Parts: sequence; C-alpha cells; structure tokens
Amino acid sequence: MDFTLDSEHKALADAVREMASRRGARPSANGAGPRPHDPDLWSAMAETGLLGLPFREEAGGFGASAVEVFVAARELGRAGLQSAYADALLAGSVLADAGDDLLGSAVAGEALVLPALAEPMRAFAPVPGGVTATITGEGAVLSGTKGPVPTGAAATHAVVTARIDEEGAGGSTSGETVLVLLDGPRVENDVMVLDGASGRILLRGADADRALVDALAHASVVLAGQALGAMESAMTMTSDYLRTRKQFGVPLAAFQALTHRAADMYVSLELARSTAMYLAMSVAEGDTDPALVGRCRVVLARTGRHIGQEAIQLHGGIGVTAEYAVGHLTAMLTAIERTYGDPRQLLGRLAADVADYDTVGVLT
Amino acid sequence: MQRSLSAEDARFQAEMREFMTTQVPQELRDKVTAGVELTKEEFVRSQRILNAAGYAVPHWPAEWGGRDWTPRQLHIWQSEMQSAGVPALLPFNVSMVGPVIATFGSEEQKERFLPATANLDIWWCQGFSEPDAGSDLASLRTTAVRDGDEWVVNGQKTWTTMAQHADWIFALVRTDPSAKKQEGISFLLIDMTSPGVEVRPIQLLDGGHEVNEVFFTDVRVPAENLVGEENRGWDYAKFLLGNERSGIAAVGALKRHLARIKSYAARVTDENGESVLGHPLVAARVAELEAELMALEVTVLRVAGHSHDGKPDPASSILKIRATQLQQDVLELAVDVAGSMSLVWLIEDDAAGEIEEDAVIPGWARRSTPTYLNFRKASIYGGSNEVQRQIIAGSVLGLKG
Repeated sequence: MDFTLDSEHKALADAVREMASRRGARPSANGAGPRPHDPDLWSAMAETGLLGLPFREEAGGFGASAVEVFVAARELGRAGLQSAYADALLAGSVLADAGDDLLGSAVAGEALVLPALAEPMRAFAPVPGGVTATITGEGAVLSGTKGPVPTGAAATHAVVTARIDEEGAGGSTSGETVLVLLDGPRVENDVMVLDGASGRILLRGADADRALVDALAHASVVLAGQALGAMESAMTMTSDYLRTRKQFGVPLAAFQALTHRAADMYVSLELARSTAMYLAMSVAEGDTDPALVGRCRVVLARTGRHIGQEAIQLHGGIGVTAEYAVGHLTAMLTAIERTYGDPRQLLGRLAADVADYDTVGVLT
Repeated sequence: MQRSLSAEDARFQAEMREFMTTQVPQELRDKVTAGVELTKEEFVRSQRILNAAGYAVPHWPAEWGGRDWTPRQLHIWQSEMQSAGVPALLPFNVSMVGPVIATFGSEEQKERFLPATANLDIWWCQGFSEPDAGSDLASLRTTAVRDGDEWVVNGQKTWTTMAQHADWIFALVRTDPSAKKQEGISFLLIDMTSPGVEVRPIQLLDGGHEVNEVFFTDVRVPAENLVGEENRGWDYAKFLLGNERSGIAAVGALKRHLARIKSYAARVTDENGESVLGHPLVAARVAELEAELMALEVTVLRVAGHSHDGKPDPASSILKIRATQLQQDVLELAVDVAGSMSLVWLIEDDAAGEIEEDAVIPGWARRSTPTYLNFRKASIYGGSNEVQRQIIAGSVLGLKG
C-alpha cells in the first residue's frame, strides 16, 4: 500500500486550491446553512476538469481515477466551499454505467445532472421505496415524492431511483430498482413531486443496483475528501487560535485542558486522513464493496464530528458566529455525515454481517 | 497512491503466513490466541524458532541479523505473526535494547550482546521508571558513580516487567548529578546476577506477577557496559521509547482478539436461545470496533515508512494513544459478552497454562475481567496517554504555553 501523492496529484491540488481561493465562501443570510447552486463556481470546476475526473474517456470523462477525485475534493473541503460535486459524480457514474451521452455535457458543465435518492420521512436507502415507476416501453412514469434534492432547483436533469410497481415490458419484475432520467425536473422548496412525471430508463434490476453501488462509492470518495479537507482546516484554525488568543495574560496554549483536547483532535485527523486515502485507493482500483465504503464513512463521520465539535468549543464564542469560518466547516462536516446515509444506517448494515467473517483485511 | 500489494509483497505475505502457521508449534499459538500466559521457556522456544529462520530481528542492521525489508514488509511480517498467534518476540530485546546497542553501542558490545539478544539467550528487562520518576522520567535518582574501571550503582527501579525472568537489565542511571536533569543520565547494562541486585514482585489487579521492583545496593558494573557516550542516555532513551510506542500498536493481535470475541459471542445465547452476536447492540459494537481497527491499521501502514533517525516520530504517539484505547475497548467487549460468567476469575497461577475452552464456564469468560483490568495498564505504560498528548500538542501542533 502506497499513500504517496505524486507530482501530478500535487499539481491538481494546486490548481483546485487556486480556483477555490478566488471563490471564498460568500456571505449568506442563513448562517452556515445550505447555499444555492453557484453557476460561476460550477463553470470554474468544469474548466479545471473536476467534473469528468473519474470517468473513462470513451464515456466522455477524463480518464483519471477516484484518487484524483479525492485530491480535488479535499481542496474544496479545505476552502469550505459548498457545491454539488458529490451529487454530480454520483449521477455521472450512473450515466457512465448506462453509456448515456448526457455525460459529455455534464462533464463540460453545460448540463447539471443531479441524483434524487432521498425521500421525505424515510430513512436513507439508495432506493427508499416510496417512489414507484410504471414501465412504458423505453420510458417510465413515476409517482411519489423525492426530497430533499439539494440545489435541485438548478438541475437540468435528475437521475431518480424508484421501484417498479408492476410487471412491465422487457421482463422487469415488480419491486426491482429502476434508474430514471428526468429532463427538466421540477424542484420546489427542495422537494421533487413526481406525480405522472415521465422519463427515460437508464438501468434497471441488478444492473441498476450495481450501478448505484459504484456511484455511491465514487460519491463517498468526494465526501471523504471534502470531510478530510474541512477537518484539516478546522484543526489548523484551532491550533493557530490556541497559540494567539490570550486570556489571563497568557496564550490559550498554556492550558493543558485545551491542548490535550487539541491533541485528541489531531489523533482523529490522522485516522481520518489514512481512511479517506484508503477509500480513494480502493475505489480507484475498482473495489466499491459497500462494507468497505461503509466502514470508511463511519470512521470519517466520527472523526469529523469530534473535530468539528471540538474546533468550535476550543474557539469559544467566535466559533458559533456566522462571520467566522470554523463553524461553517463544522456545518459542512455535519451535512457530510448525513449525506447518502448516516452512521446509524451504515453501522446497521455492517452489523448485519459481522457473523459471516473473522476479521477485516486491509492488505490485499 | 496504490492500495494493492505488489506481486513481490503478496509473495512475501504468503511466505510469512506459511511459516508462522506451520513452523511455530500450534500448542503455543493456541495459548496465545486464548490469552493464556506463557512460561519463560515457551517464549524462548518460539523466539529461537523465528531467529533460526531470520525472522526475529529483521528490522536490525543487516550485519546483526537484519533483513533490509521495506517498512511495508516489516508490517506484513508483524501482522502475520500476530494473526497466527505467534508468541510475541520479547520487546525488551528486539525493539528496545537491541536497536539501541546496534545504533549507539561499541563493536565489543554489539558482538557480545546482539546475537544473544536476538536468540533470547539473554532475557532483558527495562530499568527506567522509579518510584518518584514516572511520567517525569528524567527526574530519576538511581546513581552510578565511577570507581576505577567500574560504575557503582545505587537506587531503585520499579514496574520492571518480567524482571523475575531477566538475565540483564538496561537501566537509566544518573552519572552527573550537577547537570540539568536530562543531561546527566547514562544508559547502563547490568547483569542481574551481580551482588546487590534484588528483585521484589508487585502483585497486580489480575492476581498475576508481571512487574517488579528492582533494588540496587552498591552494585559494581564494569565501565565497558555503558552504552554510547556518558551523559547521553536520555537521547538513547527517547530513541528507544519511540520504537516502544510504535510496537504497542499490535493491530494484528487486536484483530485476532476481536475475531475470538465474535466466536465466543456466537456461542453465548440470550433468553430466546439466539446467539448474542446477533443482538443489535453487540453486532453494532463489533462493527464499530472493526471500522476503528481498520482505520488504525491503515494509519500504521501509512506512517510505517516514516523514519526519524534517532528521534521519536510523533506518529508513534498517535498510534500509542489510539491502539491502547482500542485494545481496552476490545477487552471490555469480552467482559460484556461473558456477562455473568465474568464474575468468576481464572487466575493464571491456578490454571497452570490451561486454555479450558470446554469447561462449563470456559476459560475465556473467566479470564475476561482480570485481563480487562490488567490492560488498564496499556494507557499508562510506554509513556502515559497524557504524556503522548503533551508530545503531540508540543511537537506537532506547536502548542506551548
């Protein structure tokens, strides 16, 4: 196993850092909350080549891998930039698997194709079950409600997960997964009401389930990179603050009650760093095993929560203000932990299988 | 970045697995896996098998039995030993005093001690801590005063692990009482059979005898037994402690232990006759620990390549903290799985080394509480976890008051 980043990775990181630094987080009325889609940032990400990194050139991508995605996402996380990057790669991965031409315009930043997985009042699953599809030849008619679909109002297309609700053409079976591409989806107040919406079938059945596993693994690499970047920034800001902020006539770094907590944050950071890199390497080599992805995400959720909470606490009052970046990083970590599943759901899936093997191997 | 092992490393891994699971006797490995205390003879027997094959001290300089393996190969070697339940190589020999002598010792010391240390012909113990020098190790007061060709040693060491088996002790002694406390310390090798050395046992919470007090009364030590330069002992000690901390992250052993606990939990049933491994809380705890162990293992792999000549790597502090926390968590889970069976104890002295797997209340269940209590030591030894936090805060994060 080799964790070294080569000169090309470093050049990519520099390019993304440069791009991100020209687009710092903008002031917003809702504190550290969700931002609307930023078309300028999105164009810049497309120009820097980020949107096509993991996809094969034949499919319209740039033929890099999940490792490059990790490198780029980490810089976005360091800068605290919110974007639909994970969503876009999730949808892009499905398009690539389906061999759909739309991927080219998505990679160019012309089309914004976003996934619609989550459903209101249902715990996360790739196909939560409340949205159903009736098959009509090459197409499907959907019913039910998806949401939230973050930044969905800006989407030109949506990849919707659904369950087939009756025997249809092509031998499809009731209950099977279907992935449907909607052109011009209507998203209002983060919700996509699908009554009667019809779209093109991308994949169904076992092919759709496999594609979702791969797509979630790629999106998880984005989340891992962003989470690591946010943790790195939060750690740096916290150390700097402890060194410079004075109380009782001395820097806060004079108080062991604080420095030992910072040291524990650093332990979490190093575990998160190895884990995020390990996930990226695994996905780059084609290992998208949900158990592996789930374990990495559980570790990143815990370390992210630990570092985010402590970063605010060690800053004191300034940490909970909208003007200061550290709380925004914590908000980002809080969101990442609940994107495409949460620790409860991920651990629940892992727990169901623990009796089936002795140990978890990492050296293969 | 690359995850997969190279073909060469995969071959190496297969070789190690083959050797560890076929050449080290099964009865020794079964005892280790079951958490049974080994006798001195069993440790010696196992280490000699490994040493004969060149697998006891591959990390030493090639001249003294080292193999010039890559950090990754060293990790594979360790993890295959641990997964197979091979008795631990004596850390005092292979990761503590051996590398110090090989790096800082004289040619005479190397020839005299290194082959015997690798082969466990000499059993070493560590004379560092004192009653008033725990975390503040540099305040140690055991003195060595030069008298002709000898040092005369007086003082007391404590927490001396397995001193009851030891032939020699490597000790930190104060040779210049007037210097600043870190600067007046030397690293001295002392024959435990010297007149004036006395070992007294300390009984621990689990009822076992593992650590000791060692008293020195006018013990005469030949001058040539001082390692490196006089009054530079603190530097050698820091070098040694960095190695000790990294060695504490025995991920392979932890994984093996967690796998054992799963197999125990599969056999214990709840009020409905279902295995407790199937209980959501137990299964979730196992899944959680497996994820945390994975993170620790990939971190060990990531930092294994870092070398900091003569200086402790701050990464060793991270690994020490996290590995000992997880070790304690895993051992606590064993007590939880044993449940009411954990109320009865199996004291090693009574068990005479028997595994007692098939007893009505099996050995693992009766060992769970004493082992759990014993391993509260893990976050204290090798530099307490608070000392490690102090090192991280100061030398990594630059947090100095």
